[in-house]
Amino acid sequence: MNAEIARLRALYPNWTPPSDLSQLSAGGAAAPPDPIIERLWNLYREDRIAEVRAAIAERQASDPNWKPPEELVTALETVEARRRLVNASDSGQWQTVLSVATESPSLLTCTNVDVLWRVAEAFARTDQPARTRDVYTYLLTNCANPAERLATLQKALTLLPEQQVADLLQFERRTGESPDDFSSVRDELARRRVERASLDSKVTASAEDLAAVERLIRNTNEAGPVMTLGWYNYHHGNPARALELFKTALDRNGGAKAAEGYAMSLRALERLTDAEAFAYEWRERAPENMKIYLDIATALLSQDPPPRLDARVVGRIVPVVTAQRFPDGAQALGWYSYNTQQIRTARDWFRTALGWKPEDEPSAYGLALSTQRLNERAAFNAIVAQWRGRSERIADLADTANPGSGRRSAPVQPRAEMDAAPRPAVPRQVTVERVEVEQPLVRTEEGVRVRQTQARSVLGRSCAMTRNPAGLSGDAALTRGWCLMEINRPLEAVAAFDQAIATGSNRAREEAAYGKSLAYLRKNLTSEAAVAAAEAPQTRTRQVELGASILTQRALAAYRDKRYVETLLALSERARLVPEQNDLLLIRGWSYFNLGRYKDAKQVFRAVQRTGYSEEASVGLNAIREATDQVSQ
Amino acid sequence: MMARAPFRATLLTWLVAMFSLVMAMSASSQSLSVQPLKIAGTVSSADWEAYRSRFVEDSGRVVDTANGNISHSEGQGYGLLLALAASDRRSFEQIWSFTFTELLIRDDGLAVWKWDPEAKPRVTDRNNATDGDLLIAYALAKAGEVWQEPRYTTAAQKIARAIGKNTFGRSGRSLILLPGANGFGAEDRPDGPVVNLSYWVFEAFPVMAALAPEYEWNRVWRDGVLLLQQATTGRVRLPADWLSLRSGLQPKPADGFPPEFGYNSLRIPLYLLRAGMIDLEWLRALKQRWSAENEGVAVVNVVTGQIRERLTDQGYAVLHAALACALDGTPVPAALRAFEPSLYYPSTLYLLAKSLLGEKYTQCVSSAAP
Repeated sequence: MNAEIARLRALYPNWTPPSDLSQLSAGGAAAPPDPIIERLWNLYREDRIAEVRAAIAERQASDPNWKPPEELVTALETVEARRRLVNASDSGQWQTVLSVATESPSLLTCTNVDVLWRVAEAFARTDQPARTRDVYTYLLTNCANPAERLATLQKALTLLPEQQVADLLQFERRTGESPDDFSSVRDELARRRVERASLDSKVTASAEDLAAVERLIRNTNEAGPVMTLGWYNYHHGNPARALELFKTALDRNGGAKAAEGYAMSLRALERLTDAEAFAYEWRERAPENMKIYLDIATALLSQDPPPRLDARVVGRIVPVVTAQRFPDGAQALGWYSYNTQQIRTARDWFRTALGWKPEDEPSAYGLALSTQRLNERAAFNAIVAQWRGRSERIADLADTANPGSGRRSAPVQPRAEMDAAPRPAVPRQVTVERVEVEQPLVRTEEGVRVRQTQARSVLGRSCAMTRNPAGLSGDAALTRGWCLMEINRPLEAVAAFDQAIATGSNRAREEAAYGKSLAYLRKNLTSEAAVAAAEAPQTRTRQVELGASILTQRALAAYRDKRYVETLLALSERARLVPEQNDLLLIRGWSYFNLGRYKDAKQVFRAVQRTGYSEEASVGLNAIREATDQVSQ
Repeated sequence: MMARAPFRATLLTWLVAMFSLVMAMSASSQSLSVQPLKIAGTVSSADWEAYRSRFVEDSGRVVDTANGNISHSEGQGYGLLLALAASDRRSFEQIWSFTFTELLIRDDGLAVWKWDPEAKPRVTDRNNATDGDLLIAYALAKAGEVWQEPRYTTAAQKIARAIGKNTFGRSGRSLILLPGANGFGAEDRPDGPVVNLSYWVFEAFPVMAALAPEYEWNRVWRDGVLLLQQATTGRVRLPADWLSLRSGLQPKPADGFPPEFGYNSLRIPLYLLRAGMIDLEWLRALKQRWSAENEGVAVVNVVTGQIRERLTDQGYAVLHAALACALDGTPVPAALRAFEPSLYYPSTLYLLAKSLLGEKYTQCVSSAAP
């Protein structure tokens, strides 16, 4: 301890034990030989330092032999030094802090603990931590106020390495009138050790430290320690406990970081569906939350065997992956589409993924497979030419392909082996023996029309009697489905179409899936319609037709629920398929309006008006005028 | 201090001689030299009291009333100089107390330039402004000499050394005064180095050279005059407040500042007059431009020559009157004789001009003059 004081003395050679300034001022006021002296001390006590200086100068100007009392000069210099030191420290001018302290060692006393703290910080900020520790040691050795002593340790926590803080704990006074209680500092050190271990699975925290953090969790309402323990458990093989802790952290307003931990724990527990739903809600809160959502969505799509996902889930993954231009997600959507027989969609996703990440071999492989399945020779050859030298499996695909045969047969369910790695799954071996060829559009549509006509005219109301479609053949079930649609009983039609999908030929399955989508659309069951549309490959025209209908209904539903961002998303997706007609343009305009995007809204309403007079568009433009006037007021 | 005084006097004389000699050798045929000013006792106590009561707080803070009542190093420097001109030792000490404790806190020994009473901490921008540093050091040096106060001289010397060390920069073969220790050099901005000619307080240079002879004040002073000549050769013949020296010898308006001869540059002729550097052809042209028959004192776009703002306050009008007096002996118009303080800045310019007229051109302001 004496050595520390000696070191401080070495630092400030002129340092002498403090003389109390209040005594000085009392002494000055005790026997005033001159009325001006008392006035000066009064100004000094009121902290009007510039005026004291001014009065001294004025007096000296008129009386060159006059000298202010030595104590007053010292007191002034000390106050000025303290001001400069504090101002310099507030502005991060650490050299000035140190030089002022060196020139005014009388400042460095227990009556000016704040100054001591600032000097300690200046040492730390100028890479002299040993000196910082000296100042704290001096303070803990000499100054008595327990609150200031504890605050000293807390300052040390922000400026010194932990080992040095731990060393300072030895100065804790356990006895006497006002003993110290440094337990909060000990707990903080424990929390930091656990925090460090919490991010490194190779570092284990001691039971004592873990107990300290548990105690912190019990004794405070803060989310911080809960999350620390959450991450510790997450990284030390206990995601179930981590999940509980992150739940607590969320309840304690732990926010985005807690949500990230919660989502990661769900994923670690392989509860991917829950994880996706949860992470979706939090995705906009911080970039980390978006990242974990995309990772989870990718993992969800890439499960082995390929899962049957709720169309709602896929439907909400798509716009996020698109907006974020996340290549792994696009690739996963590619494989998901591929594995659910939506080969064109798969091809488009692989192409998108490559657009975002040109060097992504798995996406290139997916694109090669898809174009091969679709018999798109030129596209297939282009991708092979581009990747032959870089990917053996793409080269193999070209060498073993059996191209050009247009013969039809039942499509083979592709079997994809997925990697178990958290990376988006990559099919290692995919055997595609036959090339599917789309049937000419006209024939398909014609077939449907014929059957619909049949349903209307021949079968008439024969389907009106409720009957279990289970025993029907594919074709009969299909006819019954259309019949039920004709008499507007879409839910029963769905059952019939299901039977057709289960038992029918390829053609029947395709048509039944189409019928089922229309049935759901009629009941406003947009999501189900989307699922149904995915149940069998559809022709381009039908895809467009169904897609547009589904998106229209989705947009309208979102608009009814005042979810304007989603309305706009659905409308924009739809606009990519078919042109937007005026009634939907108005919905778009009002969505912009409700989101406060007045400029966009104005543009849309103007566009509607250009196609002919529209009262609704005028109303919209007036509303914008009113709203923007209000804004500018 | 007393022991050093004779040496200082000798050195100063020698330096002044050197300052004029160098100019005679320069490309210009004009002969320029700095004539030292006495300053003390050149402003009446009534004028000073009118200024002090409006712009100087009890804390010693000089308040810029047109800029949110902030204070800056420049204002503190002017306040010190004017207190000295009024021989008001009391106010000088007061203003110095504030300057020392609140602004002179930078690690490099220069003053932070801005102090805002509404902010916490008050210093929101810890950069310096070199003209503020120069003015403070100059006022301290003059006051230390007049009042035989070593505290002032010591402080002046510290600042002078800090200016020499931190704000002298190179531009080609010129040695220049950077407006701040940071942010204006060739490596700091794409159009750097950037200078402000009104930061050359010419009269201060010989005094600084005496305080910190290890730095090349003489060259900076001379190169400042050359820069001014280069910057006034254009069609409009006015320098922009902020000049980029990126392209060698032809200064251009700096990026991010209006290309204007503005409130900053108005001070250049005043500083030239105060330094006694009146044999500069540009001053004659400026006097012509500023006369009532022409455009008068104004903020002017240096590219188009268009006037953005006419400046009619007494503090701006007196700049033309001082020019006319110094160059032609024209008496100062009666309307400008009595101080009518308005805002901090024009009031400051007014008193600086009046102090000069009171010291060197009494014939223009004597009651005998028409």
